[in-house]
Amino acid sequence: MDPSHFVQINTGSTEPIYRQLIEQVRRRVAAGQLKAGDEIPSVRELAQALAVHPMTISKAYSMLEMEGVLERRRGLSMVVAAQHRRAQSSASRIELLRPTLQKAADEARQLELPAAEVIGLLTQLLDDESKA
Amino acid sequence: MTAQSTHFPHSDIATAELAAVSLAYPKGGAVLKGLDWALQPGQVVGLLGRNGSGKTTLLETLLGLRLPQQGRVQLFGQDVTRLDDDARARIGYVPQQSDLFENFTAAQLLAYFKSFYPRWNEAKVEGLMSRWDIARDKPIRKLSGGQQQRLSIIRALAHEPDLLVLDEPVASLDPVGRRDFLRELVEQVLDRGTTVVFSTHILSDLERVAFNLAFLSDGRIALQAPLDELLEQVRAFTGSVSELASLFARLGAQPLKRTPLEAGRERVLARLPAGVAAPLDAQAVNLEDLFAELT
Repeated sequence: MDPSHFVQINTGSTEPIYRQLIEQVRRRVAAGQLKAGDEIPSVRELAQALAVHPMTISKAYSMLEMEGVLERRRGLSMVVAAQHRRAQSSASRIELLRPTLQKAADEARQLELPAAEVIGLLTQLLDDESKA
Repeated sequence: MTAQSTHFPHSDIATAELAAVSLAYPKGGAVLKGLDWALQPGQVVGLLGRNGSGKTTLLETLLGLRLPQQGRVQLFGQDVTRLDDDARARIGYVPQQSDLFENFTAAQLLAYFKSFYPRWNEAKVEGLMSRWDIARDKPIRKLSGGQQQRLSIIRALAHEPDLLVLDEPVASLDPVGRRDFLRELVEQVLDRGTTVVFSTHILSDLERVAFNLAFLSDGRIALQAPLDELLEQVRAFTGSVSELASLFARLGAQPLKRTPLEAGRERVLARLPAGVAAPLDAQAVNLEDLFAELT
């Protein structure tokens, strides 16, 4: 797998880079884009590709290993864990969206926006993405 | 988790240690005021401070290029004023102002420095000279600012230092050049476990490579911590002074910066203990916020 396309990071975020990595890998495994046995870039490859401190990468990988998303194969390479043979059901995938939508819901309340307008905007954003 | 990579022999001796260091300029007044600071082997520390806060003075003091009026500076466990040749050869420095000999060509400059060091990685030098497209046989004064800065970085890396001190090393580099330089730093850390201290105002670069951040404020290191922990533990709170005092007591939060607002209210940046969930109405902060509030 090309390490430069494996994940993307945003600097300037309130979310630490290692958390961004964890969440992207989780989502890709949940969606079935990464499946059991798929090899992921080594710490070295990804640190070089992203120009990020290697400890940031190894911290993310260790946590994904503890969660059972990744596992270590003999040697040092990490692969997607055996239990992730196919995409998760949409019911469990949507749970991964809950924290982001919870935050959007909190902000919408602070802005005192009617629910229909907020949902309308989300629908529009989803449509824009699928056309792009 | 420690900052020490498992690939390298562990050392209990700090790579650099400053204790109660004070330095004042004859006309300007105090710059460093009883400053304590330590860089542990293998750490990559980003040094943050406002313009004029004394970052360059601090880095020069750390290297023994300026002598403080009070306090003690040690590198690799040795007094910085009495470093042996061995310790000297373990230091690489990229100063803010280029100090390259302008009438030399790049090739002459590198040959000159090579003669001082017991170790010199010719393959790395040649690789970087080609990759970074630096003319070998032109006088240095005819190179662009960016090329001079790259040459200064190559000179600092060539002898494979264990301590790399970088004072605004990317100021004249374009974004592609900066990314290239950061990759080179990452490689140093991966291959050699180099201790790095790095000052820059380009926060996105620090965010990528500096695992630890040190905030220089009012002549002292006000705070040093891993960036990940700061992003997870520091929150901005707004409320009445008494409300916030009891909230912080309950959470065990440590106030870092207070800004008084009107009507007995204040905004406080506070650090929560590890593992304590932040209250919902507390605001998360990014590196730019931390820079603005803590320097």
